Amino acid sequence: MMQDYIVFVGVNMVLAWSVYVILLAGSLSFANGGFMAIGAYASGVLTVKFGMPLIPAALIAGLIAGAVGVVVGFPALRTRGIYLMLVTVGITVSVKAVIESIDYVGGIQGFGGMVGTRPWHVIALVILVGCGLWFLSKSPLQRILDAVREDELSAASLGINTVYVKLVCFGIGAFLAAVAGSFYAHHLIHVTPDQFGIVVSVFIVLYAVLGGTNNMWGPPIGAVIMTLIPEVVRGLESWRPTAFGVIILVLLLIRPDGLLAFREVTTRANKSWVTGKADESKPAKAKSA
Amino acid sequence: MLVEQIINGVVLGSMYALIAQGYTLIFGVLDKLNFAHGEIFMLGGFVCLASIALGASLPVAILITAIVSGLLGLMVEFVGFRKFRSADAHITAALSSFAIGLVLIDLSQKVWGAEPVALTLPGSLQTATITIAGLKLVVLRLAILVISLLLMLVLYLVVLKTGLGRRIRAVAESPAKAALFGINVTRVNQQVFVIASVMAGLAGLALAVRTGYSSTDVGFTFGLKALAIMAIGGMGDLRGALLGGLLVGVIEALAFQWGVGQFADVFVWLFMIAILLLRPAGLFGTLVSKEIRT
Repeated sequence: MMQDYIVFVGVNMVLAWSVYVILLAGSLSFANGGFMAIGAYASGVLTVKFGMPLIPAALIAGLIAGAVGVVVGFPALRTRGIYLMLVTVGITVSVKAVIESIDYVGGIQGFGGMVGTRPWHVIALVILVGCGLWFLSKSPLQRILDAVREDELSAASLGINTVYVKLVCFGIGAFLAAVAGSFYAHHLIHVTPDQFGIVVSVFIVLYAVLGGTNNMWGPPIGAVIMTLIPEVVRGLESWRPTAFGVIILVLLLIRPDGLLAFREVTTRANKSWVTGKADESKPAKAKSA
Repeated sequence: MLVEQIINGVVLGSMYALIAQGYTLIFGVLDKLNFAHGEIFMLGGFVCLASIALGASLPVAILITAIVSGLLGLMVEFVGFRKFRSADAHITAALSSFAIGLVLIDLSQKVWGAEPVALTLPGSLQTATITIAGLKLVVLRLAILVISLLLMLVLYLVVLKTGLGRRIRAVAESPAKAALFGINVTRVNQQVFVIASVMAGLAGLALAVRTGYSSTDVGFTFGLKALAIMAIGGMGDLRGALLGGLLVGVIEALAFQWGVGQFADVFVWLFMIAILLLRPAGLFGTLVSKEIRT
């Protein structure tokens, strides 16, 4: 049981971070459930059908998903806001439907035989990703990301290649989601396409939003809380979606920045892209701009 | 055979179009996606089922479904959108409406179970057929088609010709300016949500009556596909939603006819992605009146 908790909590933390990385450049992704599915199935095929060890398989699966993310993302990131949100929903639904129709990986019945995730794999992954993001948040790169997110036009005028920045973030997010997905699958032994539907993507985004997305600690803490509370509180397990939905609604209404939305020392601009508050710093921004 | 399939596709498409009209109306006025819309559609089938189980006749059940869906729409507007009205809040509004959708799905699964529930109408309404020009057609499907098209025509006329429609168009153009001219923007938002939700609820009723069962997962399959259709037809474009719905319905019916039915979903979503990338105004739209939104 302890093993289950560690794996699920760790995987969800990394998934929440994978959404956070994409959000850093200002895009919201509902595609991470799809990338997770790509990771789970690609690494599963490598370990079960080709006998590869888990860790290289997970990395290769991550690279595959990252490549898919970049290829799909390159045109998709030209669209913004609501359009991008719809495109990522489309990616998740399409990935699931494509996997369901491939007989080689078991189609709708699912794919089995994956074993080998140890808790330390997941713990190491969480530490690695955490360290990486921490270094990122202290590096000049963070300021580039902030610039791209807050005002793409100004960022571009300063010579930042905004499409490139967003694309790299999208690719890294896809990579992380896929690696987390492969560890998840190798813990569960058997996975079905249903486990990676649009609902999962939404849950991952909600983990991140629940914790708060203006610093790197919010998303994993949101993931921990939402994974553990239903396990700890008896009887809540069967009410999970309702409890989850109500908590999210209450939180969005009374604390729109997320649970942990304290400001770090860095001077960041208004987080209007997620809080929904009117952005006083950009008064000229028209509704249709 | 082929003609019958195409007619089936048109009937299917008219239901898609009914839902997509709601999405597109709400998007056009508020600039937000309402992800709870598919669940109101799903509940339409269950409300109909419950009222028939309680002894109501079909017309009464239709009336009850319309009223309940309208109230649900008001609830969604109040909980999920009232506070997130600024133009930058589209992510927050999407998440809150998704959360409402999750709660609605979970609660209806608590009440009716996760499995589809059979819905049989008294009499032979669900099976009666009529032969027109050598084609055997199910009366019910034709009725669904006619009623959906009528509903959409009424909506179109309301938006174009009435005072309510003028207010809706004013708010869609610019809520701030509309408010300056004395329009109660909150009231208009509520009206839009009621109209959209009633149409979604009736579409859910139509689907439940046509297939003979209600299921809690149609919101995420059928309903979400209507979202893609809304984008294909052009976001905020009522005619586009209708034509896109009919087009997708016919393509889907033909896909099943030719034995590639399992790819219909992928096709719809990939088509939507292609449309958003190449023609963000939608298949039939132009960018003359509305710029691309960020």
